[in-house]
Amino acid sequence: MKKILIAEDSSTMRSLLVATIESLGGYLVSEAASGFEALRLLPREPVDLIITDINMPDINGLELVSFVRGSENYRHIPLFIISTEGSERDREKGLALGANEYLVKPFDPARLQELIKQYTA
Amino acid sequence: MANSNDTSGRAVEDFLAEAEEIVDRLSTDLGTLGDCADSGECDPDLLNAIFRGAHSLKGLAGMFGFADIQQLSHNLENLLDSLRLGKIPLTNATMNILFDAMELLGSVVRGLGTGENFSSAIADAIQRLNDCATAQESGGESPLQKLGLPEKVLNSLTEYEEHRLLENVKKGRTIYSIHASFNLMSFDQDLGEITEVLKKSGEVVSTLPSASATPESMIDFEILYGTDLALDDVTGLIDRDNVEVTRIGAAASPPSAIAAGVAVAIPATAQASVPTSAPAEVSAPVGQGDDMTAKSMSRTVRVDIGKLDDLMNIVGELVLSHSIISMLATRMRLEGFSSLAIELGKAAKGLDRKLTELQKGVMEIRMIPVGQLFEKMARIVRKVSREQGKKVDLKTFGADTELDKLIIEDIADPMVHIIRNAIDHGLETTEERVAAGKPERGTIRLSSYQKGNHVVIEVSDDGHGFNIEKVKKKALEKGLIKTLEGVSDREALDFIFLPGFSTADKVSELSGRGVGMDVVKNNIAAVSGMVDIESIFGQGSKVIITLPITLAIIKALLVSTAGRTYALPITSVLETIIVTENDIDTVERKEVYQLRQTTLPLVRLERFFGVPRTKPDSAEFYVVVVGVAEKRLGVIVDDLMGQQDIVIKSLGDMFKGYRGITGAADLGDQRTILVLDVGGIIGEAFRSGG
Repeated sequence: MKKILIAEDSSTMRSLLVATIESLGGYLVSEAASGFEALRLLPREPVDLIITDINMPDINGLELVSFVRGSENYRHIPLFIISTEGSERDREKGLALGANEYLVKPFDPARLQELIKQYTA
Repeated sequence: MANSNDTSGRAVEDFLAEAEEIVDRLSTDLGTLGDCADSGECDPDLLNAIFRGAHSLKGLAGMFGFADIQQLSHNLENLLDSLRLGKIPLTNATMNILFDAMELLGSVVRGLGTGENFSSAIADAIQRLNDCATAQESGGESPLQKLGLPEKVLNSLTEYEEHRLLENVKKGRTIYSIHASFNLMSFDQDLGEITEVLKKSGEVVSTLPSASATPESMIDFEILYGTDLALDDVTGLIDRDNVEVTRIGAAASPPSAIAAGVAVAIPATAQASVPTSAPAEVSAPVGQGDDMTAKSMSRTVRVDIGKLDDLMNIVGELVLSHSIISMLATRMRLEGFSSLAIELGKAAKGLDRKLTELQKGVMEIRMIPVGQLFEKMARIVRKVSREQGKKVDLKTFGADTELDKLIIEDIADPMVHIIRNAIDHGLETTEERVAAGKPERGTIRLSSYQKGNHVVIEVSDDGHGFNIEKVKKKALEKGLIKTLEGVSDREALDFIFLPGFSTADKVSELSGRGVGMDVVKNNIAAVSGMVDIESIFGQGSKVIITLPITLAIIKALLVSTAGRTYALPITSVLETIIVTENDIDTVERKEVYQLRQTTLPLVRLERFFGVPRTKPDSAEFYVVVVGVAEKRLGVIVDDLMGQQDIVIKSLGDMFKGYRGITGAADLGDQRTILVLDVGGIIGEAFRSGG
């Protein structure tokens, strides 16, 4: 089973992401409701992919990307940012920091599934 | 729609629940923001939290294909973004646009599925939001490069954080980089403590985590902090081994150095209290940091209230089954199966105890504190007082009194109306208040307390109260009374609940139009509640709402008349009295009883239902005084048979036309009796009685 970590503060949005991922089969999802929780969950078990929102209460998505890419242990994990269309600069920064994909909410489930398969193959 | 398979009913329900939560929180936060908009100095965290709320809602609505909510929240988000990025100033005009848009958003979310069409209102609101957001957009921002921030930090700042950083620089604050290293196991608590302390004397702009170079069990953070404090003072604030404070950027210009020197004097006291206050705040955290802990430690579940209703029905049926068992036990004992009968009786008692606990438990799940309702009302007070240009203080008491969630929902609209009335008609203008020797600011009091099986909610104002003479005159004009003589002040106040009755001199846009107190009364009566008004001319009015704690299983008073048994919901029973034929007077061919200086109209139950008497009327009988809303009626019955818990079952459509009956209930001894609809009986009695 591949493991995917989601950092997203909206519980409904998390359920949608989980549903989309689990319907692929072969994936297990850990859910973090904040950047802090993601930091706490990361060391617990190997993760094959991280999906993060940008606007979160404590640590924002960009900071999470920066953390992951700056860390010896996690820098190779593929990472998607998923956020509502908004600041072009946040998007550019996310990609510059090393996010592999930037998806716009409302996301297209089929597209997300395709990307997940591609990055975790 | 994103994916029709995912958008099942369940998911939509989740969406609605979260969307409603967001809208409620946004409205509350917006109220707080409105309060500080006057002073011009607002907590950037609050504004950012509001922005995030609109942002989440937009994302969610988009996923579920609710295009109108998505559009509205998108435009709301844009305006909020401009505000938080400092592109436009926060003015009262902007606040009004935000309030209106938020209120509309709430209506649209709550109106989902009702088929109501909001499109023109939404188009309007979007137009206003856009006009406001683009009105004063300014040019580019000055670069942050000169601060000399490490690239790693600079690169992970969102546009908003960059703006906050610049704002701090503009204010002449010094920017510090605080490097902290914590154990991976407890970093959130440690970090939370530091940020709480820091926030008291400045702004935490961003928190960038990084993997520690040294042991793997550690995690490092780079906190960007803007403050007027000097380096030593910041270091003093957070006196820890693993924390290092460095100053960022060029040396501060002289004016800000002076500002820093002055500012130190004030936080110095705060600083002294840090060691003692900091640990206390960890156990009862306040502020933004606890969003995260509240979420991860939440031990609550969201339950569909329909499921609780089903559960309550089952409990109700169990209660009935228990009645049957205990009755059988009694019969067995009477018929001589003594030892078995005694054991069965004991078992039935044990069952009864457990059932009571179960019933109480299920009921408690449905209970929520009225504080949630009060919060909504606080927003109404802010909004209406703003619209009216009146200064109003809201005081709430007993916010932790608990009430059935459905009842709370059902009385929200009537409460809004009562509060609008209180501000609009009740409170005088500032000038009038000053002239009358009253404080400039009016006061609205919302209080709630439990009284037996009831919860009482009171809304009072210290306005001018009702002019009873004017009320009476109006009643005369409208032909409600034929003469002013003999109409007591108490009775006069009851006229206010009649349809179309308004004492307002001019019809105000707020509360004079359309719905009146009669609608308020009906809505409250629909949840078996009662409403009363008290008023002292010149000093203010009080609206008193009495509500049953819950609706699911009700206590009823069983009464019998002409050989039949009926149930009267105890929530509408005020008192019972024994009377004889001699006590009954007749006014205009209607029977009445003089009850403590008021004239109580009477109804003989058997005549109301047209049940023939087999035996002559007894000389002595009972009058059950019942009330719904402000109306009182005496129901004449032969006998009182005690109280019992009953579960009301609907009689179905065939019996819809029958007035005075609300349903049926099983008594457990195979008997089914009718449950009386007190509101219906009163309505009928007053209609025929005039």
